[in-house]
Amino acid sequence: MQLAAPERGLAARRRIAAAACALIAAAVPTAAHSQEATGSWTLDTSILLYGEQDRTEIFEPVARISRLFSNGHRLSGQFAYDAITGASPTGALPSGQLQTTTTPSGNTVTIAAGAVPTNEFQDQRFALDGEWEAPLARTLKSTLGAHYSSETDYMSLGGSASASYEIMDRLTTLTAGMGYNADKVSPIGGTRTGLSDGTVAVQGLDNPKNVTSGMLGVSHILSRRWLVGLSGTLQAEDGYLTDPYKVVSLVDSTTLEVSGQLTEKRPDKRQRASLLFSSVYHLNEDVFYFSLRGYSDDWNVRSGTLDLRLRHELANGKYLQPHVRYYSQSQADFYVPGLIAGQALPAYASADYRIGPLRTGTLGLTYGFHVKGMPGTVSLRAEYLRQWLATPGGEGEGEGGGGDDDRAAGGGEVRAGPVTTATIDPASIQSNMPPLNIGSFLIGYTVNF
Amino acid sequence: MSTRLRRSALLFVLAVLAVAGSGCATAKVQPWDRDLMARETMRFAPSKIESGTDDHIYFSKEGSVGGLGVGGGGCGCN
Repeated sequence: MQLAAPERGLAARRRIAAAACALIAAAVPTAAHSQEATGSWTLDTSILLYGEQDRTEIFEPVARISRLFSNGHRLSGQFAYDAITGASPTGALPSGQLQTTTTPSGNTVTIAAGAVPTNEFQDQRFALDGEWEAPLARTLKSTLGAHYSSETDYMSLGGSASASYEIMDRLTTLTAGMGYNADKVSPIGGTRTGLSDGTVAVQGLDNPKNVTSGMLGVSHILSRRWLVGLSGTLQAEDGYLTDPYKVVSLVDSTTLEVSGQLTEKRPDKRQRASLLFSSVYHLNEDVFYFSLRGYSDDWNVRSGTLDLRLRHELANGKYLQPHVRYYSQSQADFYVPGLIAGQALPAYASADYRIGPLRTGTLGLTYGFHVKGMPGTVSLRAEYLRQWLATPGGEGEGEGGGGDDDRAAGGGEVRAGPVTTATIDPASIQSNMPPLNIGSFLIGYTVNF
Repeated sequence: MSTRLRRSALLFVLAVLAVAGSGCATAKVQPWDRDLMARETMRFAPSKIESGTDDHIYFSKEGSVGGLGVGGGGCGCN
């Protein structure tokens, strides 16, 4: 009997504790993660230092402030500034001899023999983002977003709307969203005709580029420790999708030496689809993040992305988070390292490695900690990225060549033109994309007040 | 819509049904067992500012897009 009383007391305390937890948990939407105090402000800031080997360097401070109101509404605003300097590859092939080219702004540049031709540039970018989350009902939440960014040759204005609805005792959240961007591309030096020698440029032209996107997603709490999600996006781009500063080399068919260059030209439409599976699993103390994304578009770029992170908790609120990412894509239909001089031109051509058979590997490590006597969390993240093109005949071969059925069904101007008749065997010439090493350092500070 | 996009859409719908249906096959997580789910770290992207920075880097250096959200900033992206 003496033992029974404490047991009854313990059981009663457990029931009370469980009931209290139930009340707390029931008041908290699963998607809303409510450790922040109601009515609180959150300041999230970061500074990005980004550098590519012998190429682009970026300094980007970002500040995001948000307020959660007592009625559950949340307003957020974000400001970002980018200072961008350095050099970007033009897409032209290296040559065994000196190359002389004219930059978009009209300057003549001499490129050393064997060097990858690049354009020197510098730019500044300002970006403003706003977001309003509004609970419409206990299990229904809407989010409205607006975006504006501006740089010398590019302006982006857009909006988005999404809604999340919790079902099955709030274990499952369904999300649907739409977004629209009305962008303008205003190339420095004017807009040059695609696949031309680039000597004629139309000045002062703002080329429209419109992007419409839709998203459907579902997330589900599988267990006390495990959250999974699946989201699919469709995106339609329409307008000026050519990179105004990229060129394609003309190569002599017998000597394979560079004999000239043409401006690149891409289709004015692009339809993209992606499917993202995400998982967050809470181990005893640590948290494991996993995501896998599949992507496909009607330029015939297909890609897969694997992303793994492990947040390892240390003492006193410190943590370490290693990060591994691998990305692999097939080349666009019209990607060519160069064109044979004197042959019929294809309808579209680009030598931009970013739509080539590209691979990216990322290794990173984040260290988070609290500074004594100061509220909030500081995080330091260092990442190394390496980008390279799949070697012809190697792992990347054939990835971009499939989908004949789709070509017939898809129709459109993308597949028009005898691209292959003017394409150079990439194995026979030096690549315009040697492996690229990139380093980035991100300093972050987050505080609730 | 091309055949591939239609196939992708069908695959997506099937996958959504599979994930939504998985709730029926697993033990129900009671409200008082959602303590871990309430933590900031139990999100697909715990830091919006960090995921936004990453999206921007990869958007400008690779040929693909797509993730958790819609819209967002375009750029000239040298």
